[in-house]
Amino acid sequence: MSAITERGAVPGHFAEPTLGTKLRRLIANPWGHPRGLVIITWLYVVISIVPVVVAIQFSFNAGRSVTAWQGFDLTKWYFGDPAYSVWADPRLQHAFWQSMKLAGLDMVIATPLGVMLAIGLARWRGALASASNFIMLFPLVTPELMMGVSLFLVFLYIFKFIQPGTTAQVLGHVTFSLSYVVVIVRGRLFSIGKSYEEAAADLGATPWESLRLVLLPLLLPAVFSSLMMVFAISIDDFVISQWLSCGSACDTVPIRVYSSTRGAPLPSVNALAALMVYMTLSAIGIAWLVMRFSNRGERKAEGARGGMVQTMGGFDM
Amino acid sequence: MSGGEIELINLNKLFGPMRAVDNISLHIPGGEFFSMLGSSGCGKTTTLRMIAGFEQPSSGHIVLDGVDMTETPPHKRHVNTVFQNYALFPHLNVFDNVAFGLRRQRETPDNVNRRVGEALELVQLTGFEKRKPSQMSGGQQQRVALARALVLKPAVLLLDEPLGALDARLRKQLQVELKTLQQQVGITFVYVTHDQEEALTMSDRIAVMSNGRIEQVAPPEEIYEAPATVFVADFLGVSNLMDAVASGADNVGRCKVKVGSFEFYAGRGSADISGSTKVTIRPERVRLEAKGTSGENRIPGVVQRWVYLGNAVQLIIGLATGAKIQALVQNTGEEIPYDEGSDVTVHLPATALRVLTDTGVPLASAAN
Repeated sequence: MSAITERGAVPGHFAEPTLGTKLRRLIANPWGHPRGLVIITWLYVVISIVPVVVAIQFSFNAGRSVTAWQGFDLTKWYFGDPAYSVWADPRLQHAFWQSMKLAGLDMVIATPLGVMLAIGLARWRGALASASNFIMLFPLVTPELMMGVSLFLVFLYIFKFIQPGTTAQVLGHVTFSLSYVVVIVRGRLFSIGKSYEEAAADLGATPWESLRLVLLPLLLPAVFSSLMMVFAISIDDFVISQWLSCGSACDTVPIRVYSSTRGAPLPSVNALAALMVYMTLSAIGIAWLVMRFSNRGERKAEGARGGMVQTMGGFDM
Repeated sequence: MSGGEIELINLNKLFGPMRAVDNISLHIPGGEFFSMLGSSGCGKTTTLRMIAGFEQPSSGHIVLDGVDMTETPPHKRHVNTVFQNYALFPHLNVFDNVAFGLRRQRETPDNVNRRVGEALELVQLTGFEKRKPSQMSGGQQQRVALARALVLKPAVLLLDEPLGALDARLRKQLQVELKTLQQQVGITFVYVTHDQEEALTMSDRIAVMSNGRIEQVAPPEEIYEAPATVFVADFLGVSNLMDAVASGADNVGRCKVKVGSFEFYAGRGSADISGSTKVTIRPERVRLEAKGTSGENRIPGVVQRWVYLGNAVQLIIGLATGAKIQALVQNTGEEIPYDEGSDVTVHLPATALRVLTDTGVPLASAAN
């Protein structure tokens, strides 16, 4: 009777697992919890979030430093300080509302346009269709600085009737948000398929009725994801907003944060940025609740797409 | 709503260079249960979609009750479809699904309620109005799809393999229900399937299709007993096809054929054939006799395999010519005296042996 090695199997007694084996089973067990991957993922999440948490933490700083922690003060930089808090400082407030204005207009303009574009591109066949497809993807792959500069030049030389300012900023935002909307909506269109529209036509619905009563209700999750996506992209944008800016009256939050670091930054800037984070989190929270509520009745398609993350991640280039 | 008579005239459909439907002409009288049978890619679904209006023919005409529909968009045609995956609107409940078509016709709410109730009763789903499609089984969803199409009282109902996604037992049950429904409602059904048993069970007439063409159109008995081409013989059931050389008719109207070195008389099919051809016989008509039995149309063989089917026994027999045929012996409770490996004499009765042409070109007996 001989001992069993790890690889061989000979009737006998089993050998004690080596340290290497035990370690492997702990981390990379093919049948158990993928601990190794989980560890790496959590490390990544922590590294990504820690800077944001620190920045928000400093918005509650009792003193005026953005680098040295001087105690906890909940409301000083939000609305406590009579001169420099977000509530008191008109420039910070203006930046906040400018960001909100741009994001709101962007959402309202880019989403419907993008949905129509996605539906049209999905139906269109032929050489011109693939060309349009390609062009539509350009903003996604173009470096932001190039987009910013080219938009600036366009408004300077071609569309001279539009001065750099809020209008130009909105148009710039809409231009590159469109691509994101199209990509999201197209993914959803693809998974919906054409059978429902055919069924609607078969039952006597005109193309417009079929769109209104069947396709758009089914597209609602994607439309919602697009709204959230456009919002997030818009309030985050720096380069394009700056290139199309008219000066400090058109400053958005990213621009204000950036320019304040040139001088003596106060934690009120952190407070302003933190407010944006809170808004984004609430938007995502609302989107999640709406998706949960609306997806309850829908049957899981092949591939079981569920949850907002999967739907938003269902890009189709 | 009259007739439900469909006529397809020289229909062609090309997808790029690929000819999916090749010059099909059909006449379907009103009230008939008509099936299109064939394997994947034979063009049956494309033909159905052209009748529904989802595809436009490359050339040819589609005429419904005397009116040319070829240029009419699908939402204006008086035909309705039951899809393979049902295509029930997931965001609407059963009632709204069934009421959808009625509301497009601007029916009054009272009428809508009444007719939806009637349709659901027809498919035995009363009480399911508030349910969503995702909360129902496959069979129930299929019935909702049926109700949704039938409530509009179309002239013709098109069914695209509607039972494909169901398990065998449910399928058999629904086959009977569909046939009963069709006879009850009296409208024309055009049914697409690749399942020959389904087609044989339910249809008034079957069109067997292959490569975009129609091989044969006939009632089920004729398709099974008198297949016009090699393809049809092979597609339905087991055909036991064997190569043979024909040498004209004998004095009682049977065709003399030689399979290998053995002489046979084929009582079915055209007798006046000579040259290379094929013969076919259904497995249930093959007779097995003790080794050494002599007589007409007999050939020695060896039982190679025994397959127990429950209601019958399938025997694979190797003939002295080298060919292999299948015999089907009903389970009557009597013991079958031939085991695997034993020698038998195979009798292919002349009344059951059919001769076909080799090239697959339909014979004169093929109906339209």
